[in-house]
Amino acid sequence: MEKQQKFSPEKITNDLLPTKFGRRGTIWTMTLLAICAVGAFAYIQQLRKGLVVTNMGDYVSWGIYISNFVFFVAISLVGSLITAIFRLANVPWRTPLTRISEMIAVSAITFAALIIIVDMGRPERLFNLFLHGRIQSPIMWDVIVITTYFFLSLFLLYITLLPDIKILIEAKDKLGKPFSKLYRWLASFWKGTDQQEKMRDRSITILCIVIIPVAFCIHTVTSWLFATTYRPGWDSTNFGAYFVSGAFLVGAGAVVVAMYVFRKVYKLEHYITERHFEKMGKILVMLALLYLYFNVNEYLVPAFKMKKSEEEHLTGLFSGEFAPMFWFAIFIGMIIPILILVFPKGRKPNAMFVAGIMVVIGAWFKRYLIVTPTMLHPFLPKYDAPAKYSHYFPSWYEWAIAMGSLAGVLLIITFLARIFPVISIYKTITDHEEEQPF
Amino acid sequence: MKKSNHFKIVFIFLFFCGASINKAIAQDSVEVSPTILGLRYFLPENKVPYIIVNTKKKVGRKFEPVKNVTVNVYVNEATANNLLGKITTAVNGEGRIAFPASFKNTWDSLTTFKFVAESVPGKGEEILNADLTIKKAILVIDTLAGADTRTITAQLKEKTGNEWVAVKEIEMKLGVKRSLGNLTVGDAESYTSDSTGTASAEYKRDSMPGDEKGNLVLVARVEDNDVYGNLVVEKPVSWGVKAKVEQNFWHRSLWSTGGRAPIWLLTIAFAIIIGVWGTLIYLLRQLLKMRKIGKAYQQKLTT
Repeated sequence: MEKQQKFSPEKITNDLLPTKFGRRGTIWTMTLLAICAVGAFAYIQQLRKGLVVTNMGDYVSWGIYISNFVFFVAISLVGSLITAIFRLANVPWRTPLTRISEMIAVSAITFAALIIIVDMGRPERLFNLFLHGRIQSPIMWDVIVITTYFFLSLFLLYITLLPDIKILIEAKDKLGKPFSKLYRWLASFWKGTDQQEKMRDRSITILCIVIIPVAFCIHTVTSWLFATTYRPGWDSTNFGAYFVSGAFLVGAGAVVVAMYVFRKVYKLEHYITERHFEKMGKILVMLALLYLYFNVNEYLVPAFKMKKSEEEHLTGLFSGEFAPMFWFAIFIGMIIPILILVFPKGRKPNAMFVAGIMVVIGAWFKRYLIVTPTMLHPFLPKYDAPAKYSHYFPSWYEWAIAMGSLAGVLLIITFLARIFPVISIYKTITDHEEEQPF
Repeated sequence: MKKSNHFKIVFIFLFFCGASINKAIAQDSVEVSPTILGLRYFLPENKVPYIIVNTKKKVGRKFEPVKNVTVNVYVNEATANNLLGKITTAVNGEGRIAFPASFKNTWDSLTTFKFVAESVPGKGEEILNADLTIKKAILVIDTLAGADTRTITAQLKEKTGNEWVAVKEIEMKLGVKRSLGNLTVGDAESYTSDSTGTASAEYKRDSMPGDEKGNLVLVARVEDNDVYGNLVVEKPVSWGVKAKVEQNFWHRSLWSTGGRAPIWLLTIAFAIIIGVWGTLIYLLRQLLKMRKIGKAYQQKLTT
């Protein structure tokens, strides 16, 4: 097996320390801030005027916000995939990817929680959910499991950061003042003693064991928000596994994109190597095939039966109003990435980046297709409803808020990458000392 | 031979194309009639009558409701003093005006009413007119219970001078009120009043479930009669089977209130929550211990 170049701890530290935003970084951050600001303005308008500013109505009461929510929940699964599963499986090449995936997980789950509040017409009534919540409701389970997953992901990110923050505190001269207080506040107690190391290591193992079932729960419960409702397209026993497999795929796709970007921006070619892309490419193609398999199950079986009550919904997807988006999501989100990644040349960084982008974009449209078309086709006939209720296209408020939330996720990742190393310095040094492959 | 077959195919193809184009053109030029204004009279329980105003137009072969048409409804003639009310038709093309209390004397003194409706036209619209003449009548329902049979009778009585006189040959419906409509009491859909002005039907639905006390509601209706309009009257009778309603509302179930969740669900949910959050709290304690260890180590170094 090919081995990674061996570097001195000093070089590794120098290479992996967080750096100030350059010109491109500043433009990127300012752009994200501007999109977030537009989103915030639209949300304030929505708060003032109510949900009437959206194009949601009696039938499509879950629109682009809930599609975004499902998308964020899906992406957040990557934290448990890369960190927990790879750690417990003792995957030796995981080090450069774990921090990136943990950052993605924390940012995505933060905005998954926020976008649900955005979808509420009266967010100040959120506390009623805790005062009068019904444990029988999947919505309540989702609130509980999202909160739990958020804290677990945050804790996992924090506890794996401790030795790195010690290095950051020690590198005060190189890094300058900006975040030194924050570093000291976060981890001045960390001295790296044997006892501390032992406790930290054990804590990470426990966290990894706990976070996997919780991550499965969050995706299964999110799928149950739909599957426990008797509606065309949602009435499926397959939904839990279908959602989990889709979440693994989009999460892995997001990590591939982030790997590529961080590698380019921070010049990490020696740490995130082509072998990492090769390995992630194989995982991604396996996950894409798995998700494609679930999609075949999810659509082929109902299409074969073509029950009268589901006919309108299914034909709408296959050849009707939603057909272009449906086939776009299937081809761009699954089939073309599979065709790219199945060949060794397709698992090179540039091709992988394209495939990763396709997976993520395809996944977003797939979530939209899971939520909206079903809502337009209720079992009960529409009676006395205006013609506009039979179609849904988000208003500019909805677009602005949705894009603002997507920018928000990227902004958190950007700030986290500015403050903390995107690859664990401590673990990389340890790996090099132990001569771990990769 | 071959050539003539080709001609046939081309001819059939052109014929179908022509037919479908013709059909498409025909569909595009659907005929739309002017808006039609209509009036219907209703008298529920022999009390306060009301008028339903409806506006519709014929599109192709179907009638479609016309909404947002404002209509003034008068009694006898279209003068300000006789204005019963003003109504704007809703999405279903209908509006309802109850007979106002101020018209009680008119109601008591007359035996025949003429209702006149006149639309309030918008810009460029024509005035729509309609009228309806109704003879004042009441509907009376009664029951006869013998040893083995139960009979429902109904009479439509019109006002003649100061008397209420039963009317012959009136078609009416006799039924039992159910949740989603009326069920006929016997085999026939409707009954016609005889020479005494009485319509009667034998009640044959002995095992019909009623309320907790076995009460049912009998209904007699005269529907869309040209002279008398629509009349309906009800009468409660204790001819039903007493219904035993199982009250599951307060039981623990998946559909009850939060405080009445099933024990099994509470056990599973709280076991998971306590398990996961217990672990998280344990890990936080470990973190605090690491903090202590670190501080102790620092102190040791400084001393």
